Amino acid sequence: MDIKLEKIDDYRWLIPKTGSMRVPGLIFSNAELINAVREDQSLTQVANVATLPGIVGHALAMPDIHWGYGFPIGGVAAFDLDEGIVSPGGVGYDINCGCRLMTTLLRAEEIRPLMKDLVMALFKNIPSGVGSTGAIRLSKSDETKVAVQGAAWAVKKGFGTTEDLERTEDHGVMEGADPSVLSDRVIKRGKDQLGTLGSGNHFVEVQVVDQIYDSKKAQAYGLFEGQITILIHSGSRGFGHQVCDEFLKEMSKPTQKASFELPDRQLACAHLKSGQGRRYLAAMACAANYAWANRQILMHWAKETLLESLSISPRELGMKLLYDVCHNIAKKEQHTVDGTNVMLCVHRKGATRALPPGHPLLPDIYRDVGQPVLIPGDMGTHSYVLSGAKEAMIQSFGSSCHGAGRVLSRSKAVKMAKGRAIHRELEDKGIFVQSRGKRTLKEEMPEAYKDVSQVVEVVHEAGLAQKVVRLRPLGVIKG
Amino acid sequence: MDSKKPDFTLLDHTADLGIIVRGRNLRTLFEVAAKSMMYIMVKGKPADTTKTFNLSVEGYDMADLMVRWLGEILYLFEGEHELVTGVEITSVSHSHLDATLETVSFDTNLHEILCEIKAVTFHQIEVVKKNDHWETRIIFDL
Repeated sequence: MDIKLEKIDDYRWLIPKTGSMRVPGLIFSNAELINAVREDQSLTQVANVATLPGIVGHALAMPDIHWGYGFPIGGVAAFDLDEGIVSPGGVGYDINCGCRLMTTLLRAEEIRPLMKDLVMALFKNIPSGVGSTGAIRLSKSDETKVAVQGAAWAVKKGFGTTEDLERTEDHGVMEGADPSVLSDRVIKRGKDQLGTLGSGNHFVEVQVVDQIYDSKKAQAYGLFEGQITILIHSGSRGFGHQVCDEFLKEMSKPTQKASFELPDRQLACAHLKSGQGRRYLAAMACAANYAWANRQILMHWAKETLLESLSISPRELGMKLLYDVCHNIAKKEQHTVDGTNVMLCVHRKGATRALPPGHPLLPDIYRDVGQPVLIPGDMGTHSYVLSGAKEAMIQSFGSSCHGAGRVLSRSKAVKMAKGRAIHRELEDKGIFVQSRGKRTLKEEMPEAYKDVSQVVEVVHEAGLAQKVVRLRPLGVIKG
Repeated sequence: MDSKKPDFTLLDHTADLGIIVRGRNLRTLFEVAAKSMMYIMVKGKPADTTKTFNLSVEGYDMADLMVRWLGEILYLFEGEHELVTGVEITSVSHSHLDATLETVSFDTNLHEILCEIKAVTFHQIEVVKKNDHWETRIIFDL
């Protein structure tokens, strides 16, 4: 499909409403990034999302947009609760895949000589890789508690403190979780994967704050130049995949499509008010809670590893959770549309919530500065901390980008990396990497991703989120 | 594990991985699709103990049947840690198939995961007859 794009300004492009599109599409991008987007099928995917019933405003895409399946990665779409739908493919397989960033009192120069040992210790202590299983074996009773209580379950078991919950999106628990809708297969896949990183683009990264853009906000977030931070990227593992897979199959039944035409089967969906839609939301909430418990436990193990590996006390380490955000989710949220307050179901598939200062859902500690928005880059460049800004509530249903976004397919990346020692190239840049999968480092090499600084610049200039600090990787463990 | 490459071609997809599989009839198409997925996922030595069992899959149409068929094989690995090493489709129609599968237990000493396929997606799924053969396009979530 040939998609027409109209430039609105330097950071926004419009896909005019044509054919069966119910609303226009809106892409946040810049002149260079938009050219890469034209190369794949992600613009068609934005137009496809715009055809779904009950969609409100625009079918949106963030500057890290790339070709997904069904929805584009980097896609945001909000649906009316009465007329609209919920789409498992619009959330993604890895439900509540997300990031959490921890600050420490350590300075980079103090631990640089110990970095290799620290990365090796993290690699040993944090289960990663394909089908990785962890030290936790959940009984069915405990697994259902995880599915209902989320991060709070992990805190009750001694993984972290209640203070962490305040610094987690939605306090690390999504309401409406109902384990009775979960299949035996979901329970089976979840029972031994809690506290595991997984494979692909999931990682734990040791970083240093190397540039401050907004010192007042950096101070409010507890960030200072030269500081060591730890970033974790993981999700709901096999539990979430199984939930998505089963509901996609259920919703792909031909009778489901009777009232409207689906441009792509992966967009299979159910009306939010339907029994099927409600059951999916109840199962999705269970998976979201599993993911929050997972990241809470991964954080605890990262902390234990730092304490042991560096032989320091908790006081000396001073580790605190800065924030935890999810990337793949559908949430009922209040927004203002044409001057009226309405409840909408906002799908974010590879996008981050970005609440501006003063928003009622913010914890007190961030009420005046806005929500921390965590944007990981690829393992060879930088990650960013931004703060949610007011234009996000006006233009993007309180959303921002979620990362760099792939630009090369995995097979192209592997081909390009042939004959190269990616780990050595990274070591030359002062980044020590350990990876479980042989292909992972090649698939995830820096050239496979868009320039994260450009992605971040777009959301900053469009006013969706404001740059606070930049983080440089020193050590990475990949699945 | 069959070390010979099945008849498939890779489809470039930015985030994930797709394949195009051809078969002279539907039975071969479904067999080669399953073998191709396993070929992409894992490499290994033959194990001493294999299990054999029958599997039936229902779909709403052939494309749906393909996603569900491959999904079952993937679940055997993800959920049961069993790797499919042999596939024989005993009957296939537009919405139903019967197969006999041979599996081995996943063993990190014997098997190496080359690529983790996390799901078989419905995105752009297609099963079509082209002149003298059948063809399917499948995109996997990695």
